Amino acid sequence: MSKKTVNIPLGSQHISLLEPIRFKFTCENEKIIGIDSDVGFVHRGVEKACASKFKFDAIGYVVARICGLCAITHSLSYTMAVESMLEGEVSKRAQYLRVLMVELDRLHSHMLCLSHVSENAGFEAMFMRIMGDREPVMDLQEALSGNRVQFDYVSIGGVNRDIESDVAVKVKETLKELRLKVEDYISEFENNWSLSLRYKGIGALSQEDAYRFNTIGPLARATGIKTDVRAESSMLPYGDIGFEMVTKDGGDIYARNMVRLYEMLNSISMCENIIDAMPEGEIFTKLKGKPSGEIVTRLEAPRGELMYYVKGSGKPILDRVRIKTPTFSSIPAFMHIFEGQEYADAPAILASFDPCMSCTAK
Amino acid sequence: MFDLKKYRKKSPWILHYNAGSCNGCDIEILAALSPKYDLERFGVINTGNPKQSDIFLVTGPVTYRSRERLVELYTQMPSPKVVVAVGSCTCTGGVFREMYNVEDGIDRYIPVDVYIPGCAVTPELIIDGVVQALDILENKTKELEDAKKLYKKPTEKEGVLNLRDSALKVGEDEED
Ligand code: SF4
Repeated sequence: MSKKTVNIPLGSQHISLLEPIRFKFTCENEKIIGIDSDVGFVHRGVEKACASKFKFDAIGYVVARICGLCAITHSLSYTMAVESMLEGEVSKRAQYLRVLMVELDRLHSHMLCLSHVSENAGFEAMFMRIMGDREPVMDLQEALSGNRVQFDYVSIGGVNRDIESDVAVKVKETLKELRLKVEDYISEFENNWSLSLRYKGIGALSQEDAYRFNTIGPLARATGIKTDVRAESSMLPYGDIGFEMVTKDGGDIYARNMVRLYEMLNSISMCENIIDAMPEGEIFTKLKGKPSGEIVTRLEAPRGELMYYVKGSGKPILDRVRIKTPTFSSIPAFMHIFEGQEYADAPAILASFDPCMSCTAK
Repeated sequence: MFDLKKYRKKSPWILHYNAGSCNGCDIEILAALSPKYDLERFGVINTGNPKQSDIFLVTGPVTYRSRERLVELYTQMPSPKVVVAVGSCTCTGGVFREMYNVEDGIDRYIPVDVYIPGCAVTPELIIDGVVQALDILENKTKELEDAKKLYKKPTEKEGVLNLRDSALKVGEDEED
């Protein structure tokens, strides 16, 4: 067969991609040999607006609109940065409630990713099943915060809503059911013939490459690297509520799925522990002053490490807000993984990265 | 021949485009299609092909790079078509209003039939919007199917027929 190369575009408007991203694959027969990507379709200019248009106490709600899936991690990282600049103490109860929301967010984000991965393997029934099971988690978020997606739960000094006792009971009940379902998924993802056929050995990343490209989040943990901001940082009380690092070997789509599934189990037990050990106290302390100085905060978003740099000089409008999102840091690794794969696998591989373009382009 | 307009009402296909949203409204559209809310029971299917769609769901405040695609997708859809703006930022720009890389809302570029406010909108609201869009779609279909008279009776002046102005412009009525 002749060595002819073909250019195949994927995106930016494509049925199997939720995200506006465009790839240009150079293919030789069925193999991808070159790849070019374009991620800037949804650039809005949030960083600039944060340093010119909004006052510092409103930015927590603006940065939440960078990404609908990990809104809480965005506003929480920003809020923690401002709180440390104001040198304020947040009550323990507020901290626990924040972690509860972050972990619920991680649960539904991982479920969304897994459902997409199964859809791209041609397993429509599994997609519908996971999407259906995701709804109870959304309901919990609504019960806790008042909205399903953009819930603006965190504010500077604490959280905006306390947890009612009947909601706490509901959280525990729902999570108990969810645990059984996740265990079901694990056996399904391990044993189902069509899922393993599509996943095992596909889209693999070796551990050296993961180090070389500085990958983060589930992508790195699927290659056996122990990296997780939840274990490395002590700003949130992850140590007290039973956080466990989940790593798997192999680095392929299968390993990434497994990391996500076991992380969900861990998140469920953390949420249960939080409800059991919820400390008494106020949920909100008023902080005074204007932020000055500079600070970097890190938080583990569902897709990996999220980093905020905030600089202020005692004025209501900040000097600079810089956001480094998890997907952005992983793009070199994405490009490397695609090389040498079959073209037909591309959507499934892409879904397994769980990319978030609106985070990346901001 | 089968009756196309009957089926169009029964199973409208939607096209979803993200013009710079935060994904919040996009996942709610997805949730509206998934088992709990199940928009598909109305025959609604999410298609990726503009040439087969009747309802255009747009999210996001329209960034500079997505506006050409937005207009292109709109023009590729066959008439009758209905545009639904999902989310506050799609209607007016929302939080992104007046940021340097966004146009405030999609109605600067394409005509919008249904506005759904909310940040993020709930699936219930999306379903409500789509159901309203169905009525609009039906009205538009009727309008398209009404016979249009494009011909006016020739006027007679001093025994001579004037055939010059016998063509009606579209939308113009014949004066009695
Ligand atoms: S309306 Fe709000 S939730 Fe919806 S896309 Fe816009 S910013 Fe996101």
